[in-house]
Amino acid sequence: MATQIEDRSKSEEESRTLPTGEKEFFLDVHTSDLEVNFGPQHPATHGVMRILMRADGELITGAQPHLGYLHRCAEKIGESVEWLQYLPYTDRYDYLAAMNNNLGYSMAVEALMPGLVIPRRAEMIRTICAELNRIGSHLIAFGTYGLDIGAFTPFFYAFREREWMMALFEKICGARLTYSYIRIGGVFNDAPPGWLEEVARFCDVFEEKWKEYVDLLVMNQIFVKRTANVGVIPREMALDFGLTGPMLRGSGVDFDLRRDLPYSLYGEMLRDKAFDVIVGKGEKGTLGDCWDRTWCRVFEMMESIKIVRWCLERIEPGPVLGDIPKVLRIPPGEAYVGIENPRGELGHYVVSDGGKVGVRVRVRGPSFTNVAVLEELLPGALIADAIAIIGSTDVVIGETDR
Amino acid sequence: MNATKTYFKNVWDSLSTTLVGMKITGKYLLQKPITVQYPDERLPIPERYRGIHYLEQEKCIDCLACARACPIDCIEMDAVRHGKELEWISFTLDYQKCMFCELCVYPCPKDCIHMGTEFAFVTYDRSELKHDLLSFKGMAKEARIRMKEAEAKKKEKEAAKAAAGAASGAPAADPKTPDAEGSA
Amino acid sequence: MDGGNIFLTLLQKVAPEGVPAWVLALTAAVVGIAILVGFVSVLVMFAVWLERKVSGHIQCRYGPMYAGGWHGWAQSVADGVKLLAKEDLIPLGADKPLFVLAPALMLAAIFGALAAMPLSPSVYFTNLNLGLFAILAMSSMTTIGVVMAGWASNSKWALYGSMREAAQVVAYEIPFGISLLVPLMVIGTFNLGEASARQAGWFGMHWVMFQNPFVLPAFLLFFTAALAETKRAPFDLPESESELVAGFMTEYSGIRWSFFFLEEYAAMFLMSVVGAVFFLGGFESPLTHFARESFGAGSVVHEVTAGVTLLLKAMFGIFLMMWLRWTLPRVRIDQVMTMGYKYLTPLALLCVLGAGIWEAIF
Repeated sequence: MATQIEDRSKSEEESRTLPTGEKEFFLDVHTSDLEVNFGPQHPATHGVMRILMRADGELITGAQPHLGYLHRCAEKIGESVEWLQYLPYTDRYDYLAAMNNNLGYSMAVEALMPGLVIPRRAEMIRTICAELNRIGSHLIAFGTYGLDIGAFTPFFYAFREREWMMALFEKICGARLTYSYIRIGGVFNDAPPGWLEEVARFCDVFEEKWKEYVDLLVMNQIFVKRTANVGVIPREMALDFGLTGPMLRGSGVDFDLRRDLPYSLYGEMLRDKAFDVIVGKGEKGTLGDCWDRTWCRVFEMMESIKIVRWCLERIEPGPVLGDIPKVLRIPPGEAYVGIENPRGELGHYVVSDGGKVGVRVRVRGPSFTNVAVLEELLPGALIADAIAIIGSTDVVIGETDR
Repeated sequence: MNATKTYFKNVWDSLSTTLVGMKITGKYLLQKPITVQYPDERLPIPERYRGIHYLEQEKCIDCLACARACPIDCIEMDAVRHGKELEWISFTLDYQKCMFCELCVYPCPKDCIHMGTEFAFVTYDRSELKHDLLSFKGMAKEARIRMKEAEAKKKEKEAAKAAAGAASGAPAADPKTPDAEGSA
Repeated sequence: MDGGNIFLTLLQKVAPEGVPAWVLALTAAVVGIAILVGFVSVLVMFAVWLERKVSGHIQCRYGPMYAGGWHGWAQSVADGVKLLAKEDLIPLGADKPLFVLAPALMLAAIFGALAAMPLSPSVYFTNLNLGLFAILAMSSMTTIGVVMAGWASNSKWALYGSMREAAQVVAYEIPFGISLLVPLMVIGTFNLGEASARQAGWFGMHWVMFQNPFVLPAFLLFFTAALAETKRAPFDLPESESELVAGFMTEYSGIRWSFFFLEEYAAMFLMSVVGAVFFLGGFESPLTHFARESFGAGSVVHEVTAGVTLLLKAMFGIFLMMWLRWTLPRVRIDQVMTMGYKYLTPLALLCVLGAGIWEAIF
């Protein structure tokens, strides 16, 4: 397969400049670079992604991500199933944060229905579920990042908390991973009695465990040494590549869709100053390195707890589904709604011609944009760093390929 | 001097963070594990769990609302109508395709299809995965009785009409006749 | 005391007249090897089970529970049987002689080093006067096995693992040796049995650690270097599970792969024994002291107590290695080298200097 990665052994020059800026002089002995396939099957690629790397020993000199191994034609399916029937498919692109996907799609379709009023209790439950799922997704990001770096235990502790979160979702909608719960017009069914109290208990217990995560992994000297000053994304590069989410905030750019383009209840929360946006500060190294991104994710979990608590204080009994006809025909038009996924901005662009079936459902997956930056970041890093960098992008291939 | 300070700070940091980490893992080493040892021990399954479907057959009216709602078209049902009663032939759900999204449960007008708490559904043959949800084939006894009663009532009404028509002697076509023929 | 061991002595007592001396020596050697290999294999199987239980309980789960009944004690046996039944895969294009030789070489090196280890004050396989020196030399040969395994596998990822191993082990030999100089200065002998005997006193607590304040930092440095020598986390780059999926062992399957694991746990045991003998008192403990006082040196009770003490100390060392493995993340290869050359070696030299001055003064 033809690649555009340069093969230094065939050049006639005396020296070359590495991406890090150093000048490397060739000796009489010309060794060819090793072309390594960081293949589709690998424990550290967070899915089936193939990265073709050219490495000079441990130093990577070129990288090219190859995607498409998990492509399931989700967007094409959107053109042949009805509006409500598409909901389970939205679960399956970013399967770690399925509630957020449901929310994004539902909000995009609701934007095309001008008269629809979503009941307040439905909004509250939607926000609670989305934020709990954000915690769950960040737990996996944190746990699997530890696993990539070599710390095996934080993964299990993260999953212990995630089990509780999944049990909560199991009680409310019956599924543990692909919920299809947040639907057009509200949510499918109301929370069972006792659910909200259990969420409150979860928040309390989670705070103590969260401190352990920080002590065990984030502040661990070896972890810091592995991730600080590695994979630095400067502010301009982040903006140029269109990165969003913790990738962007880790580089010091103060932008969060929940605060800057508020949707759902986040506008109200802004007035109450319910949560802060975590922006990287470059504490342990350069601003925009892997440690900053991990720090952003771990501390965002606490902000999500604050949001959940805010909702729990204000939730009141009421209907959970708006006035939706049984046979759903969406008025003609097009709408784009972007929400803050744990990975960045998840955008749904929906086009309707007035019928039961959509004309186009286009999904802007944050992981797809975030993966693009790998081609810039990987050259100049060591193989072990490559794994740290890929882990810090928190890529979910289901979302990249759809 | 700064280099020496960083040097010893590094050493100190490594030692202290290692000890903090060891304290946390040591704490969990001495605690009881949280594993539930399946299949000897089981976690309680919530009532809303999306497991294998079960059908309340007597309530079902063969309206196909659930089959239409399914995104993957995995529900197929076949029944013969006898007036208002149904003679069931089959109601299959193809579990090779089903993604357990529960979209079939909500549109049911009679609230008769549900998702239960059974999740272990293993077969040795693919054909067995087209699971038939019926609890009995054909007609229920009560349904058959009702059908016979309805037929009997209809015969009575027709006999009465024929008698009334013959008595009044009206040769005009009965406006109800085409309908009666159509709905038989 | 040179060149003989308990088996030879016993044989010489029971052997009939006319049997030439070399036959006795050969038989004694074979018996010794068999006992050593058997003992270490059983110990390794126990260590593998212990690792799985320790890692399980640290991670809030159980570990093996099924094989054999009580907490899955027969899991290692079951695994061994399973691995024996597996297909012996040799990749296409692999260097067959080297591929087969690599695990054998590693095992031979480790067992050779373990031969210098005493089981109890009178039961030893060979009483080398340069015991520690021989251990250091033999255990370094495992590196050749690793490099052979990585190269012969004909796989780029395996090659990465073995290259890292070569760099890492060579870097950590130096602080390993230098940090061992500190207790050597205090006790003054390479012989393991003799070193243990020189720590008798203070009711069995006259350990090297308490004899000189510079021995404690030297022990920490020794322990870190031992972790790097045995490729245990946080220095398990050659075998990094999440990066290289088993590094130099990737292409090995079945019983050959288990030889690598046998070598890893045997090396852990070896390092723990060396640490126990030269830092933590070896055979000495209050129990051994009282056994010696009550029953006399050379009695069975004393021998058994001494052996059990050493075993417990070695097991503690192994447990500590396991605990650290499941707590700490992995160190990157260039940071491993930095640590080895820039941190451990100078600090070890400082410890040697300080210990020497202390010994000279007191």
